[in-house]
Amino acid sequence: MGEKRSTGFYVLTAIFIAFLVFLYGPVITIGILSFQGPTGGLTFPMQGTSLHWFQELFRTQMVGDIWGSFQRSIILGLTVMVITVVFSVGAGMAYRKKFFGSTPLFYLIIASLVIPSILVSLGVGLIFSQLGWEVHWSTSGLGAQLTWTLPFGILIMFAVFNRFDKAYEEAGRDLGAGPIQVFRLIVLPIIAPSLIGVALFGFTLSYDEFARTLLTSGSRNTLPLEIFGMTTNVTTPVIYALGTLTTLFSLLIIVFFLTFFVLSQRRRDKKGSDAGKGLV
Amino acid sequence: MKANSKSKISRRSLLKSGVAATTAAAAGTLGAPMIWAQSNIVLRQSGTGVSAFNEIAAKAKEDLGITMEMTALDSDSVVQKVATQPKSFDIADIEYWMCKKVWPIGNLQAMDTSKIANYDKIVGIFKNGKLTPTSTIAQGTAPHTVSFVEGANGKSFSSEETGWMTMIPTIYNADTLGIRPDLINRPINTWAELLNPEFKGKASILDISSIGIMDMAMVCEAMGEIQYGDKGNMTKEEIDKTIGIFTEAKKAGQFRAFWKSFDESVNLMASGEVVIQSMWSPAITAVRSKGIPCVYQPLKEGYRSWGGGLGIAAHLSGKELDAAYEYINWYLSGWVGGFLMRQGYYSAAVETSKEYMSADEWSYWFEGKAAKGDIVNPQGVKMESAGAVRDGGSFYDRMGSVACWNAVMDENQYMVRKWNEFIAS
Amino acid sequence: MAVLQKNISSILLASPVILVLSAFIIVPIILITAVSFWGSTEFSIYPAFLFDNYEFLLTSDVTYRVFFRTLYFAVLVWAITLVLGFTVAYYLAFFVHSLTWQIICFLLCTIPFWTSNIIRMISWIPFLGRNGLANQSLIEMGIVDEPVEWLLYSEFSVCLAFVHLYTLFMVVPIFNTMMRIDKSLIEAARDAGASSTQILVNVIIPLCKPGIMIGSIFVVALVMGDFITVRFMSGSQIANMGRLISNDISLLQYPSACATAVVLLATVVIMISIMLRFVDIRKEL
Repeated sequence: MGEKRSTGFYVLTAIFIAFLVFLYGPVITIGILSFQGPTGGLTFPMQGTSLHWFQELFRTQMVGDIWGSFQRSIILGLTVMVITVVFSVGAGMAYRKKFFGSTPLFYLIIASLVIPSILVSLGVGLIFSQLGWEVHWSTSGLGAQLTWTLPFGILIMFAVFNRFDKAYEEAGRDLGAGPIQVFRLIVLPIIAPSLIGVALFGFTLSYDEFARTLLTSGSRNTLPLEIFGMTTNVTTPVIYALGTLTTLFSLLIIVFFLTFFVLSQRRRDKKGSDAGKGLV
Repeated sequence: MKANSKSKISRRSLLKSGVAATTAAAAGTLGAPMIWAQSNIVLRQSGTGVSAFNEIAAKAKEDLGITMEMTALDSDSVVQKVATQPKSFDIADIEYWMCKKVWPIGNLQAMDTSKIANYDKIVGIFKNGKLTPTSTIAQGTAPHTVSFVEGANGKSFSSEETGWMTMIPTIYNADTLGIRPDLINRPINTWAELLNPEFKGKASILDISSIGIMDMAMVCEAMGEIQYGDKGNMTKEEIDKTIGIFTEAKKAGQFRAFWKSFDESVNLMASGEVVIQSMWSPAITAVRSKGIPCVYQPLKEGYRSWGGGLGIAAHLSGKELDAAYEYINWYLSGWVGGFLMRQGYYSAAVETSKEYMSADEWSYWFEGKAAKGDIVNPQGVKMESAGAVRDGGSFYDRMGSVACWNAVMDENQYMVRKWNEFIAS
Repeated sequence: MAVLQKNISSILLASPVILVLSAFIIVPIILITAVSFWGSTEFSIYPAFLFDNYEFLLTSDVTYRVFFRTLYFAVLVWAITLVLGFTVAYYLAFFVHSLTWQIICFLLCTIPFWTSNIIRMISWIPFLGRNGLANQSLIEMGIVDEPVEWLLYSEFSVCLAFVHLYTLFMVVPIFNTMMRIDKSLIEAARDAGASSTQILVNVIIPLCKPGIMIGSIFVVALVMGDFITVRFMSGSQIANMGRLISNDISLLQYPSACATAVVLLATVVIMISIMLRFVDIRKEL
């Protein structure tokens, strides 16, 4: 289908473009508004144009601490990322065989994915308060976020191992490799590209998580909480400047990955290597 | 009452620069502050966003060498924190109605007024309830009713000055409705206008139960719908009736939105989504500094007022307790007062702020006289030009027409549930 | 012995996940259920076994209205994201032929996902407001004389934000299953004389069922549990279950929040269990 450019193709292209406009519309709106002059507000009409609010981002705010929360979010995101990758690989390996309790655990993983975030937040917050522990983004916040990133990581690992050719491992074992060697020298290199996916997911989901951290982060904010705070105590486009900056930041990362991907694709085509083919 | 940010503030940048500042303080000052500088005292202040400004923390560091870690939360969260996590704060920056709620739990300690240098300069509102000897006391949780306790370990409030205060008052103001005069084009002089069908889809009220219910009461009373025994302590029937009137208005589409935070009210007003709503003083100045006309409309029924102060956590002792007293004394000594006055609030020891404000600022903010030059906000942004007069006039005009104080009622829990229903209906 | 050993190695490998999910999912849920029977004062909660919270919840007609409003949003948003998400995935999978373009288009869809949800949400406000871009354009084009009020702080704006935030959760799994459809099946159908529509209805849609179900599970779970979108986009004029809970939390009424949470949890679990009957997630990944 769609081999010749049918009417269907044009209709669908139009829908796709409309969808992109819909996705980007608000981002563009705040992009425009973030370039307002110093008297600008959060809504139209525009009050002049300047880079004032971007400069403002780098000054100490009247209340709050954007860069501190940004730092915490990055640290938390990286921690969540590493833990998610390691634990997901473990669980993925475990699920290559049926084991006692594997079915209930699977449902628990699904449950963890679908339970409304605010319940996790509420529940974890309650546990800490009942035990007399202080909630902190690096303890209760970390745990609460893992309940969201781990299911994603594990499901991706399921997908990876569903398509995993056991022959490689058997070959390794036949050559006398122990289980650890098999994992390190055979399994790990093969699943490595997917692990990058898990890592990216882990980091992004954590970096943007709001509801689960709301009642579990303690007195120091993560970036999404800070932004939420800003929606309630900032009356200036500085919040839009932050939004614009983070979007550009993401765009940059994606362009970087894309270039990397395209380049490696070309190199691979040139060399005609079959490495990794049929594994992803 | 203000505060509404969910944002919890950390002063990481301040902590970092703390080392440098400490050395400077130790070298440059003599006497008491040096002690704090050397022992590196850190006090954690939890409060509503009204007064949790980075500038205040920075100035405290500079003047006293005490590092203030300020956390700003919304009203309900502060109450919860002070009530349930006694070790999580050293100084509570809360309002008087909150004090009424949390004092009986015992997480705050009474303060010896003889250690407060400017105690005598604290206005009467916080001592005997009277602004001037002839004032009448408004309904609600008037600050003086929860200001004093019998002795250092007193649990019950005393109606007279005892020398032991629950909190040292710092900040207060008189709140009313904010309007967009350019979009309304006619005089507004009563709270009842909030529910006037003329403003259908263009009105707003705040979604903070303890304060919103008071605004509602002002409106219902002004409409002549309800005669309250005491607005600050409603009966269940009064609560039902009040909320009922507003639920009907909500269903009829009277409200464009509810706001939960200061900033939302600014945006609603600045964007023209709303032309009349409950509002707080700094929100008005924020709208105005965008060049949009906005009036903090004095109304014939009077103001809904609120006051806040600093309380010391029960667990503080020794050097930290001394530092807390030092900080509170500094707070009342004028610089903070001037800073807060420029936000449109009043300082408790109001006369001490005078020397930290220019004569023009003082006459504009306090005396309600026409500004002679530009009036700028604490960040230096111009808010008013020469000739501008503060809405509502002088301190005595405004604080003298308080109709009720923010309050906590005996039926508070019932009210909260009904409020939740109102929001959800 | 060997069987046991195999079990042990698997359980050991899975144990970190078991520990994390036990501590941060099972225990919290148990505690929430327990606390829903507790009593509360204005600022503290105390263990008890009371039905007060449920009584208040279940005897108020507001609860039922809010409950059905929540379901209504879930169904509406699900339907819209399904149609939209399926169309986009269908286009990407079958009409974009080069892998590089597929990746570019796909990334284009995911970039906004990297901007904070909250910022994306509130950025609708200046667009839809009374003096927003949408109204200005409509007036300039002469389509309306007065600003359209229902664009913002309405059911419309809430749904719009949901669709904006969550369509991607529908696109990704559907796209994923579509990419795995054996192209020879489609060719066989065409050779047998099927039209494009027939292929779509009889071949592609049935084969995409797993992706559709996974996407649906995401969207339904996210919309049912939301509390922040509804608050921002309705200007607090509309409530759903999540908002009831968050209101209770902010008013420190934890037992009451927990009771609402239990009702919400039960609803979500029932809905998702039904949906899971139609798909074997593990096999379909």
